[in-house]
Amino acid sequence: MNSGRKPKISRRKILSGAAASAGALATACWLGGCNRASRSLGKKVIVIGIDGMDPRLCRSMMLAGMLPNLAKLASAGSFSNLATSMPPQSPVAWASFINGAGPGSHGIFDFIHRHPHQQCAPFFSAAETLPGEGSIEVGDHRLQFNFPPFSHTLPKTVLRRQGIPFWDELDAKGIPSTFYDLPSNYPPSPSHYGHHRCISGMGTPDVLGTYGTYQYFSDDSPSKGLEEGGGRRSKLRFIRDSAKTKIVGPDNAMLKTPTPTTIEMSVHRDRRSDAALLIVGDHKIMLRAGEWSGWTRLDFKMSTPPPLPSQSASGICRFYLQEVAPNFRLYMTPINIDPSKPAVQLSEPKNFITDISNALGLFYTTGFQEDHKARSNGIFNDDEFRQQATMVLEERLTLFEYALKNYEDGLLFFYFSSSDLQSHMFWWNSDEDALHPTRTTPEAASRFQYVKDLYQKLDGIIGDLDQRYGSKATLFVMSDHGFANFGRQFNVNSWLRDSGYLNPRETTSVLTDVDWSRTRAYGMGINALYLNLKGRERDGIVEPDDTAEKLTKQLIAQLEAVRDINGQQVIRKVYRSSEIYSGPAMEFAPDLIIGYSRGYRASWETCLGELTPEVLLDNPSPWSADHCADALEVPGVLFSNKSIRSPQPSLTDLAPSILDEFGLPTPKTMTGKSIFQS
Amino acid sequence: MLVTLVLWLNTISNSIAQILLAPVAWLPGWLSASLIASVTGIVMLFVFKQTSNQSALKRTRNQIKANLIALSLFKEELRVCLRVQLTLLAQAGRLLALSAVPILVMAVPMCLSLAQLSLWYQARPLACGEQAIVTVHLKPTNNEVLPEIELTPTSAVDVTMGPVRVPASNMICWKIEAISRGLHDLTFEWGEQIFTKELAISNSFLPVSRERPSSNPSSMLKYPRERPFAADSPVQSIQIEYPDRVSWTSGTKSWMAYWFFTSLIAAFVARPLLKVDF
Repeated sequence: MNSGRKPKISRRKILSGAAASAGALATACWLGGCNRASRSLGKKVIVIGIDGMDPRLCRSMMLAGMLPNLAKLASAGSFSNLATSMPPQSPVAWASFINGAGPGSHGIFDFIHRHPHQQCAPFFSAAETLPGEGSIEVGDHRLQFNFPPFSHTLPKTVLRRQGIPFWDELDAKGIPSTFYDLPSNYPPSPSHYGHHRCISGMGTPDVLGTYGTYQYFSDDSPSKGLEEGGGRRSKLRFIRDSAKTKIVGPDNAMLKTPTPTTIEMSVHRDRRSDAALLIVGDHKIMLRAGEWSGWTRLDFKMSTPPPLPSQSASGICRFYLQEVAPNFRLYMTPINIDPSKPAVQLSEPKNFITDISNALGLFYTTGFQEDHKARSNGIFNDDEFRQQATMVLEERLTLFEYALKNYEDGLLFFYFSSSDLQSHMFWWNSDEDALHPTRTTPEAASRFQYVKDLYQKLDGIIGDLDQRYGSKATLFVMSDHGFANFGRQFNVNSWLRDSGYLNPRETTSVLTDVDWSRTRAYGMGINALYLNLKGRERDGIVEPDDTAEKLTKQLIAQLEAVRDINGQQVIRKVYRSSEIYSGPAMEFAPDLIIGYSRGYRASWETCLGELTPEVLLDNPSPWSADHCADALEVPGVLFSNKSIRSPQPSLTDLAPSILDEFGLPTPKTMTGKSIFQS
Repeated sequence: MLVTLVLWLNTISNSIAQILLAPVAWLPGWLSASLIASVTGIVMLFVFKQTSNQSALKRTRNQIKANLIALSLFKEELRVCLRVQLTLLAQAGRLLALSAVPILVMAVPMCLSLAQLSLWYQARPLACGEQAIVTVHLKPTNNEVLPEIELTPTSAVDVTMGPVRVPASNMICWKIEAISRGLHDLTFEWGEQIFTKELAISNSFLPVSRERPSSNPSSMLKYPRERPFAADSPVQSIQIEYPDRVSWTSGTKSWMAYWFFTSLIAAFVARPLLKVDF
């Protein structure tokens, strides 16, 4: 009957329909908001990671009244040694902090691992760049496209740290966690529920893909330039006080034979003004002697075959004009990945770091920001290194202010690297060893004072934090390890050679001229020792039965018996990995881990398998303190504004403790226990 | 002759822009950039209408439509198709020729307008406390030593570094620091001779002359605000490295693209109202 009639809709129906729709929309928005909102219920936990802060020095300075804020924190809450990982190397220790479990869970046992199937080929333990697959060749170029019909696999860097990071537990429960400069987390692991944010710290490369390569331009550099560990020197030839040079950028990987990209730089000096003008591309920078430039963007053009548009790789750097005359000396920082438009992912989520850069401008993004290589290679003197390290710290403090300003609740982690790298260069405890290998006693004492000054500065920061959050948040101030003098170095491969375990006697490096058919053990990395085990190593000769066990016992006994010329024990203890590690990530675990006594460390040559005529040598490097000793020699620190019940807290206990603070149980994957529970 | 002509044109465009672009100083960047682009688009459309043969344009467009229909109807007939395609090509050329007059008429005013807009959007003035490098380019001579030109600090600007003399490139550089807001003159002295360069210091919009140019017509067109140095002047040009302005609509890297697209959209929107064929 009603067919043909237009349906009649009343005004009331329209209004009520609109209201219902609006209500539904509002409910949906509210529910969505609830899903994204913090579920930490206002709970705040702040963790300040101070790399390398030493408990012995803290204690003595607190007793002397030089660290009033840390002393206050210790008396109101707690202060303790924090047992570190074995070996006490930063990537190993921080990965243990992240997993709440030891190296057997995360698979990082040393800075450097070796590949047994390639007979001790070394690689960095924390991240690995996997080569791409498939390409098409056009002229001089080899191109990769990751879309159909080509579907090539592009090269990518993967995080080698295994296991489950503790923030995944928080993320799953909707508790926000934010990490600034977290070590052992490059590339950053993903957040599955969107409540976790992180900027990668130690392990993050520069634009060249290294852990930091400075460039140095001077008129007294070798005429063909020089590549040195961590840097590159270029010779400047001045004509009428002007010179041209090139800044070397990343390789153009689109070429069949990848060659480095470059940017022209002209340098003009004015001796009368004691200043110089640098022209980088179209950009002018004017500096007087002893002055640092601001951050400068560099855009490296990469050739492509026509008609493809040209590509570029951008980075940022700062210049430091050390001297104008008589020798012109110009230092350039490693080319950092630009945080305002990062070429690779530096944070989780990707836009976290760009948001920070929009607010704060440009800043260091490489993992190692204090340029210790420039100091070790003699580009910087002590004062210049300290100045650069202080500049890094100031930049970190600006970031720290930003972090606090943008922190509401949940977990906040902030990392300071200055204490580690400045200690490596300036630490010398004359109570343990009066004679520094390269500095006079007063010089060594004045440099050690720099470390104490830094501790005082950090104490001020903690004091400020305690004032702002002391009653509202649980505070942890922790370090991954402590510090010790490094006056003497031990070459484990030279010792193995002299003891008849590594042959022939003329061997200069285990990577080049060792006779594997006559070698039973070798060292690679800082603390690791491997048996040349049959069936595991490509050219293994040691049968994995009683022979291996006998050899292990023999090595442990003989290494622990090594004495220095003054009769001092060099190696405190040698550990079997089978006894101290457990977990699913043991593939690259060494057989033995050498725990050095205070004052000793593996020699510089040992790290990459080189041999020296002597087994024990003085350490001539400005890097005169270290922590790669026995874990019991270099524990870290733990301060908290809450009382700790655990008598011997360990680095692996922190993750369970943080979870405990948010009311979450300790996952089965963790071996640590909450320090707040007895 | 050409230098004098460009000088006159710049004088006229500076005078007009001083009035028409005055609101840019106090309007938000996105608003001024949008308004200017929209108005320019509509004015260009109007000029196009007035200076083009509209009936011929309409006729040619209709013929193109007819030929396109013919192409679809006789696509089986190879000979017809080829002939129609040739005709289409000729008609496209004709359309271009008919547009040539208005394009020629508008070319010079557009160049002058863009040069005026670049004074506002290509760079931002120095903020107080901010530093910049000033470069004086000198006339090449046979002397090994550059002249002793001095830049005197004032209450508005401090000279923080320099001079850095670059004999190989005939230039002298200083680093300056902005102290007080406004449009100021930097004064360079060489004996009795005095050379000046305008400096803009502000936290908002001011016309920014990045270079006082030499007597070179293309440089004069690019940097219209200041009178060029005479051809025989020992100082050939003076540049200030102003910072980039960061904005999608009125920033250094994007203002021209934003102006182009916004004016194009405005022209398309206004087209039916002004009844223009193009």
